[in-house]
Amino acid sequence: MSTSNLDIYMPILILLIFGVVLVSATLLIGKLIRPNNPSPVKNQPYECGEDPIGSAWSVFNMRFYVTGLIFIIFDVESALMFPVVGVFKDLNDIGMGGLVFMELFLFLLILAAGLAYCWRKGDLDWVKTYHTEKGQE
Amino acid sequence: MNQTVVSYLLQFEPIKKLVLSLSNLLGFNAISIVSFLIFLIVILIVVGFLATVGGLGTYAERKISADMQARIGPNRVGPYGILQFLADGAKMLLKEDIIPTQSDKFLFYVAPMLCIVGVFGTIAVIPFSSGFTILNFNVGLVYLIGISSLVGLGVFLGGYGSNSKWSMLGGMRGASQIISYEIPVVLSSLSIVLLSGGLSFSALIGAQGGWPHEWFIFHNPFTFIGFFILFIGSLAETNRAPFDLPEAESELVSGYHTEFSGMRFGFFALAEYIEVFVVCGLATALFLGGYNVPMHLGGDGLIGQVLQVGSFVSKTFLLYYIVIVTRWTLPRLRVDQLMTMCWKYLIPIAMFNLIMVGLWMWLFDGRSLFTLLFKSASVASGAGH
Amino acid sequence: MFDTILFIFAALAAIVGGILTISVKNLMHACVFLLLTLLGVAGLYLTLGADFVGVIQLVVYVGGVVVLMVFAVMLTSGSNAQKVNRFGMVKIPTMGNFRTYTLAGIFAALILMSIIKLYRNVFSMARLEKLPEYYPTVSKIGHSLVSTHVLAFEISSVLLLGALVGAAIISRPKREMR
Repeated sequence: MSTSNLDIYMPILILLIFGVVLVSATLLIGKLIRPNNPSPVKNQPYECGEDPIGSAWSVFNMRFYVTGLIFIIFDVESALMFPVVGVFKDLNDIGMGGLVFMELFLFLLILAAGLAYCWRKGDLDWVKTYHTEKGQE
Repeated sequence: MNQTVVSYLLQFEPIKKLVLSLSNLLGFNAISIVSFLIFLIVILIVVGFLATVGGLGTYAERKISADMQARIGPNRVGPYGILQFLADGAKMLLKEDIIPTQSDKFLFYVAPMLCIVGVFGTIAVIPFSSGFTILNFNVGLVYLIGISSLVGLGVFLGGYGSNSKWSMLGGMRGASQIISYEIPVVLSSLSIVLLSGGLSFSALIGAQGGWPHEWFIFHNPFTFIGFFILFIGSLAETNRAPFDLPEAESELVSGYHTEFSGMRFGFFALAEYIEVFVVCGLATALFLGGYNVPMHLGGDGLIGQVLQVGSFVSKTFLLYYIVIVTRWTLPRLRVDQLMTMCWKYLIPIAMFNLIMVGLWMWLFDGRSLFTLLFKSASVASGAGH
Repeated sequence: MFDTILFIFAALAAIVGGILTISVKNLMHACVFLLLTLLGVAGLYLTLGADFVGVIQLVVYVGGVVVLMVFAVMLTSGSNAQKVNRFGMVKIPTMGNFRTYTLAGIFAALILMSIIKLYRNVFSMARLEKLPEYYPTVSKIGHSLVSTHVLAFEISSVLLLGALVGAAIISRPKREMR
């Protein structure tokens, strides 16, 4: 019935553009009706009344990055699992369920082994404990 | 395979006549233009509804927390204080927009927009009813998970762009919390996909029934645990207490949105409350039977659609209420407790659930516990193998 | 008509995002424009009818890789020292030397030649009047992943395990015995 079968993506595009337009338009309208009296005190970042010392853009701890790395691996794993679990029910109905279950189980087992390795080696700990006398938070 | 609101509405005679008359008027097939107009109108209605839900969510939170704390809450603006969120919105629009000099203006502009765009993108696939889903994407579940990860990026950029140590900490904790808890959410959704055989919301909801014993939450004990994993993970995804460290009010002043004033903060808050509705809707669709009405009351006509919308919305509001009550009941988790809970508890349990649900599917042909216990006689004499 | 509109939006997002990513000075802004580029690429996948790949692009790239990039940029915030070359001009890192430009030019010419050779057939074909009928790709991918390409499926899990262990080892803090 439709002229192009990409018509189904119309609402996604409309919603994304609508989000951008809504934010921009509201901020623009606000700019017209808002007061605007900047002062040096107001423009300082809030630090409970004290003067901020140093920039906040300093080097931070590695644990955030390690979390991100492990997350990416599990994200790709789930992306690979989506089509397999999507067809599991249909294949189960024709009797191939056991085979697909074994494949899925093997896939998850290998990744669970990775998770267990990271767990054991302490990469999942938020507060890393060294095995030296120096502890670090 | 993909149905949209348009393909549902095209069943009705007036719309078909409209398309025909417009085609005759314009000379080419006007279905695209009509679909665009219908999408626009339905999107405006749904966005308006969700924005109202978001605003009333703030009101409901204040009222429910007041009730739990033996006080009254907002009761001045409008009858019983219902128009409080409108007053708050107007206030935020009129406040001065202070951008600290050392902060990043571009990121100040982009971060609320990313949160709003991330939440609005999910609206396209929310299954309100079998006909009124805006887009019944055949990979709707994956799309919802993907586009709601834009919110995590918005949280982080908001914290980073403020150039304040509190906001930085809040933003980083928020981003790592959101990305970490995405995995248990995805793993529990995968176990539901195993049971239903499709990634689209119509397949996920169609495999459930209207009565509670036909919902996936009671299908087998592993999906029961899976519901709670999904619920906890969704609480953490939306930065709601007890996982609200990124905006920890007593620790980090206001976390990643400390420096955002006026409407910029309003966008963060609106995005958070709409996102709570969306993830409650996701949990309803996956585990609580979605828009199914018991005994298919009303059939497929308009009355049935309205009943389905009512069913979905009421179940989602029930979960919303539970989310609000949880916020004011439980204390906040420490950041290392949060991460430990995700990586060392929820993810292993979710993986175990996935394997067990697959095993259940294979061994029992996907029959639910209820069917096995009470209907095994009839099924055994029927077509079971 | 909408496929043209969708393609224009997606292509604009990809191209504009790409150009801005490499030309903006602030690294964090470059990550935001990288996000725009990846969203554009996801849109391009959708125009090609690869719906599953498009949403996986959203999940993995937009939800994971950009967050990782942003973390990495934040953790390794570079120094602000200005480097001056022998003519006294301020050295901007995007300026290369003669060797860089020669190599880049040769490679660009090679790639262009191979692309033109590959697509010569495509340009000489008649335009399709109507796109082929839409069919969902998820079930096809799923069926092939468990039957034809099951080895690839399992080996990819081993590959992911290797990546996980490697990343964990590299990012582990060095234990110094003091």
